[in-house]
Amino acid sequence: MNYPYPVMYKNVYKYDDMKRAEHMAVRNTVGWYLWTHQLVEVTGADCVEFLEMIFPKNIGNLAPGRERYTTMLDEKGEIIDDVVVFRMEEKKFWISTLFRADMFRWFEAHKGSFDVSWTDITPQWEMYAVQGPKSLEMVNRLAAEPVDGQKFFEMKANQIDGVSVYINRAGYTGEKLGYEIYFPKAEAPAMEKKLRALAEELGGREVTEFQVMAWTLPCEAGYYYMRDLRHTNPFETGLEGGINWDKDFIGKEALAKIRDEGAEREVVGFTVAEADIHIKGRNMGNEGEFVYKDGEYVGRCMKITYSYVNETNNGTIICRKGALKAGDKVTMHGHEAVICEPKFI
Amino acid sequence: MSKKIDPRLPKEVGTGLYPVKSPWDKIISYHDAAHYAQRYTNVVSAAIMQAFRVLVPDYVERSKAMCTNAYNRLSFVYEKIPGYPEMNADQLHMHPFMRGNFVGGLIGDGGDEDLLMCGRVNDFGTYRAEKELDVCYWDLVGTELCRSTTQSLQACADHAAKLRPEGPHLEYHMVEAKGAGDRHCRIVAECRKKFPMPEHEQWECFGPVGSEDQIKFTKEEDCVDESMMFREECDYLFSNGTNTEKDWRSAYPMVTMSYGATYILPTLDDLIREGRLENDEVDRVIHCVCEAAGKATFLDDFAKEGLRQWLGVPHSISKDDGRLMGGYLEMFLQSMRIEYEIEAFNNEECIYVIDWKGLANNMPKMVDAYRWFWYGMTKSLVNAQWSLWEEDSPEGKFRIKIAKKVDKFC
Repeated sequence: MNYPYPVMYKNVYKYDDMKRAEHMAVRNTVGWYLWTHQLVEVTGADCVEFLEMIFPKNIGNLAPGRERYTTMLDEKGEIIDDVVVFRMEEKKFWISTLFRADMFRWFEAHKGSFDVSWTDITPQWEMYAVQGPKSLEMVNRLAAEPVDGQKFFEMKANQIDGVSVYINRAGYTGEKLGYEIYFPKAEAPAMEKKLRALAEELGGREVTEFQVMAWTLPCEAGYYYMRDLRHTNPFETGLEGGINWDKDFIGKEALAKIRDEGAEREVVGFTVAEADIHIKGRNMGNEGEFVYKDGEYVGRCMKITYSYVNETNNGTIICRKGALKAGDKVTMHGHEAVICEPKFI
Repeated sequence: MSKKIDPRLPKEVGTGLYPVKSPWDKIISYHDAAHYAQRYTNVVSAAIMQAFRVLVPDYVERSKAMCTNAYNRLSFVYEKIPGYPEMNADQLHMHPFMRGNFVGGLIGDGGDEDLLMCGRVNDFGTYRAEKELDVCYWDLVGTELCRSTTQSLQACADHAAKLRPEGPHLEYHMVEAKGAGDRHCRIVAECRKKFPMPEHEQWECFGPVGSEDQIKFTKEEDCVDESMMFREECDYLFSNGTNTEKDWRSAYPMVTMSYGATYILPTLDDLIREGRLENDEVDRVIHCVCEAAGKATFLDDFAKEGLRQWLGVPHSISKDDGRLMGGYLEMFLQSMRIEYEIEAFNNEECIYVIDWKGLANNMPKMVDAYRWFWYGMTKSLVNAQWSLWEEDSPEGKFRIKIAKKVDKFC
């Protein structure tokens, strides 16, 4: 049959110089980008107890100025969000999420008699990621106080051009050096001009492509995006570390059962050497390409993207536990993939 | 006539207490009802498009008018309904860092799913997005509609972008259209700064595009025929790339609200308002075309046989019984979730009092289109002695009677 378009599946990453330049700026020099998430401020006399119930990891032992990545589970132990919780003050927390509306509904459903309240403070703040080997130099040239001594997952108040900001040492790129600057929204356009000029001076650039900031950079580093985690549990996705089994939290009972009986699935990485491919990853929103090993169905493609560092298609598969090991060859939509760890750099 | 109601289901059938059910106890699933509603309204829309073609013979003129209306109509929704853009952004998980109008891809993707137009997103980025549909229930209406739907999506994208940080502007094109005979409908949205192309007029939104070589064409054997919410391998859930999830309940009310006529009739209203068409002439042409389309629906005996199966009609009901038409209408009204009451249902007459607003769907001419469509059907489904007409409609209702009638001027 003659199709109106040739069936050639040209790679939308490999030949794209713009995406490549943005991705590699983060890896080699510095890349900055608007990375504003939704920010939820939680306060109240019982805010610690409430958040301890909501999240499986410890919240109460966070020191002010420190933060923690954690999942949020439903009663079945399934991940319904993955967030970063910042302790701003003794009784004031910020939660960085991309699913605020769902979170509010969840909080409301579980508030009970807790003396706790929450507000969406997203409209007040714009967040810029500054990531890569030269990010420390870039941030130091902006900030009133040097950030050299700042620890990973530590947020400190600072000033840029007399504007009060928060600078957080963190990132979603896997870079050893990376910062997130929380800037008052009204001042953001001026901040962008500064970041643009400074990055260029340092040989870096702005990352503008969603696919780079959300998929190619994090995937290389082995990070998940919430879509990857939907309908999985922490034991399937390797996120069980740091769960506090000594406290009560939503989903604990179901999760303990999974812990005791063993997870049914696990996440593995894969690469596809063939450049031009058509494999459906759930990151586009679908069921995920079926994965076959020796003709047997073993799992689904969770995410597919491209590693500019390794110059290969890469991604993750959620498969039957033990069905795949590093070095195995599988097929997805007729393309051969090689299994590896779900971290690529 | 007796106005009696023969033994049959309770009168409240179709009001939500019962599934879609024919007067003879044939139950139709939610799934089938949603599909039926989508196809039915678009068959009527195809007739209305023919009326439009009679009224405005020039393809370009029609396409321009429809594209303008579609863009403006969706703009109105975003501009005038308080909180709509915010709700839309929340439901589809448009993230605060997403710059520009590529988020329109999320709107289109979710809308396609609700309208049972299944397929897949092949690309979703700040400078380029691609969505491919394997099924489109609107594919028999006319390519002017395909063009105008592209412009409604463009409007959604442009207005959603107003809530977002400034960013690249994507131009949405339907480079394949099932309505044009292509295997798929394919929307490619691309930023002209990255993919330069010559300027074009709004209605010329069928491409070509600058990234044609990046198209991922799904072969026939890999195509799907159901939305994710009706597919086992998707756990009966639609999901998009930003973690929005919804189940089969989302098909309603969308399948009852959006169809080809919702693009065509408002365009005709525009042309009447602008003095380019006469209202009476528009009504006359819609009458003629819809009546003819209705008559053609049951011209073959096998079509009547098929209908009897669909409704579960017992053999005791003859082929010349007006209740066939009544049962047929009830299935449609229930599938569309339009409230109605039954005043009479017997072998001499059927009388229905239908909620006018539900039937009109904000388009008064839609009621007329149905009226003439069903009138024509009655002539071929039952026989020419029978007729269907409006009579003594109470306020806010559309009361129709199916019975024998002599009319020397019909």
